[in-house]
Amino acid sequence: MPKTITTQNLHALLDRLIAAGTRVIGPKHSGTMTLYEPLCSGSELALTELPRRSAKEAFFPICESILSYSKVEGKTTVSDPDLARLPATLLVGARPCDAAAAPVLDAVFSWDYKDEFYLERRKKTTVVGLACTRCDDACFCTALGNAPDARGGSDLFLTPLTDGSFALEVVTPKGEELLVAASNLLTASNAAPVPLAAPAVPQFDLQKIKGWLDNHFEDPLWAGIAERCAGCGACAFLCPACHCFDIVDEGSESKGERRKYWDACGFSKFTMHASTHNPRDVQPARYRNRIMHKFKYYDDKFGQTLCTGCGRCVRACPVGIDIAEVLKEIEDRSQ
Amino acid sequence: MTNKSLSPLVDPRCWDDTTAALRAAAAQLLTDGTVAAVVGYVAGRRAGSALPAIVSTAEEAAKLIFSPACTNNLSLYLTRSKKEVVAKGKLAVMVKGCDLRAIAGLISENQLSRDNVVLLGLSCPGVYAAPADRSQPLSAGNIAAKCCECFVRQPGNVDQLLGSLPEIPPLKAREAAELARLEALTPQERWAFWNEHFSRCIRCLACRQVCPFCFCEQCLCDRNRPQGVEGSPRPAGNTAWHIVRAMHLAGRCGGCAECESACPMEIPLNLLNRKMAQELKELYGFEAGTEVQASGPLTSYNEKDDQSFIK
Repeated sequence: MPKTITTQNLHALLDRLIAAGTRVIGPKHSGTMTLYEPLCSGSELALTELPRRSAKEAFFPICESILSYSKVEGKTTVSDPDLARLPATLLVGARPCDAAAAPVLDAVFSWDYKDEFYLERRKKTTVVGLACTRCDDACFCTALGNAPDARGGSDLFLTPLTDGSFALEVVTPKGEELLVAASNLLTASNAAPVPLAAPAVPQFDLQKIKGWLDNHFEDPLWAGIAERCAGCGACAFLCPACHCFDIVDEGSESKGERRKYWDACGFSKFTMHASTHNPRDVQPARYRNRIMHKFKYYDDKFGQTLCTGCGRCVRACPVGIDIAEVLKEIEDRSQ
Repeated sequence: MTNKSLSPLVDPRCWDDTTAALRAAAAQLLTDGTVAAVVGYVAGRRAGSALPAIVSTAEEAAKLIFSPACTNNLSLYLTRSKKEVVAKGKLAVMVKGCDLRAIAGLISENQLSRDNVVLLGLSCPGVYAAPADRSQPLSAGNIAAKCCECFVRQPGNVDQLLGSLPEIPPLKAREAAELARLEALTPQERWAFWNEHFSRCIRCLACRQVCPFCFCEQCLCDRNRPQGVEGSPRPAGNTAWHIVRAMHLAGRCGGCAECESACPMEIPLNLLNRKMAQELKELYGFEAGTEVQASGPLTSYNEKDDQSFIK
């Protein structure tokens, strides 16, 4: 018998988890857009639109305190945040392009230094992926070998059915555990799945692209593409896979925090040395790093691509830089 | 949204005419060596899209376009924050009326010499609002708010004025209405409105990076010894950043609304710019960017300035 769940019962499941103290994060209407945010009730789940920001925040928040200090009557106290207090979390309704980023990020956050903040959140989070049935012309997941129904990064996977319910598929033991918790809410719908999204960008040959990148650190292409780059962080901040951060002490002499927050290689100060020498002194050099990191360095180091084809950077770039167009240009040059 | 708001605002062929004139003008300037490069727009991969481009051959000039997707204020590329572009030599730039105000401001601030730039003025019926689907024709429903109150659809004091302007039906002044609505709120309600917006800010700094007037090599918000503004994307620092930004642009901002259009979190930043401009007009009778002038009220000192606020 197929395992399915109605929208109403899915909401009931989320309500049950929220009541039990689980932090449930899912797509939710927020002002003029949809964002992945903590839900107060299952009925807040809004699955129609791709959230404006990616789901990486569930593991890698935009800003977090990694240490705090206070000084009272000359005595300084320093304390670490209590990671044990991070709540069990359910990330529900993650698009395959967002879910796929989690295993990619695991590689860098558990490499030479184990990032306990990321890893603790990751360990405590169950990811419920959602097959994608809508796309626009910025989407290009399929061009990178990803797919609108890819299970990568999901523990449990939902496929929308034509009667408004969802087919459930267990991907990992964590997903199995969740399914057991939902067992009395399951139904048996025989409705057909809603047709999947079909992004129009043709498949890239990533090996060929990497081959070109291996040999073209210096190339006129970079200026051609990126002289227009305004040097903001919109692409990196909306990206599910970009993971650079800065660490800054903020506060006063008597009280403050050490904060870790998102940074971006497009910023001119990103590589600024204390001497004021800047090895990436012009915008094309910074944009080159963005492409090299995603399609060469990360592959060299971890055998993975640091892009899932969600298209957020394409939609958000204030000056219209389109990473799918850039990859096509590189592929054409590597013939 | 009614069907009327989706019907084309003007005959789309007007952009084709401007594009043809533009290509000819750009090719001529490049061929005869008047300029080293033309800063303009070319079509992108996505339907109806346009993006800034710096072209330096007559062949590339044939790819230039003008369309309602040409939203960017290209004067950004004429400042010292774009040193690799400026280094090419004398530039020609495509300018809409709203962009021209930034150019006048940059000349006023000695960031640009009028003799060193060729201005290709564009007859502009309006551009798309940021979230608009570029494959649809420009309409009352998808036009940018700033364009509804535009008074410079054909820029003056340019080297060449390209295209002609079709008749444009009257448009509702959405931004003025929103500003009036905010002004009618209590200070607490207004604070809540901005807090809600600023709490969404992710500090990507797109607002700063697309602004022609944010050409400082060392931005206050990047300083960390001592820290001027909290850099962390938290409500307190976000609010401080946006207030600093608005104040630093008061009397300089030409109202191109690029900051708002670039904001991925849809913070209505141009309302702040407009409010500042309104204050400057009321207090000093000053309007930024309408002409080249020595200095604005907030960048000059006069012994007779009102000092009653110093207590």
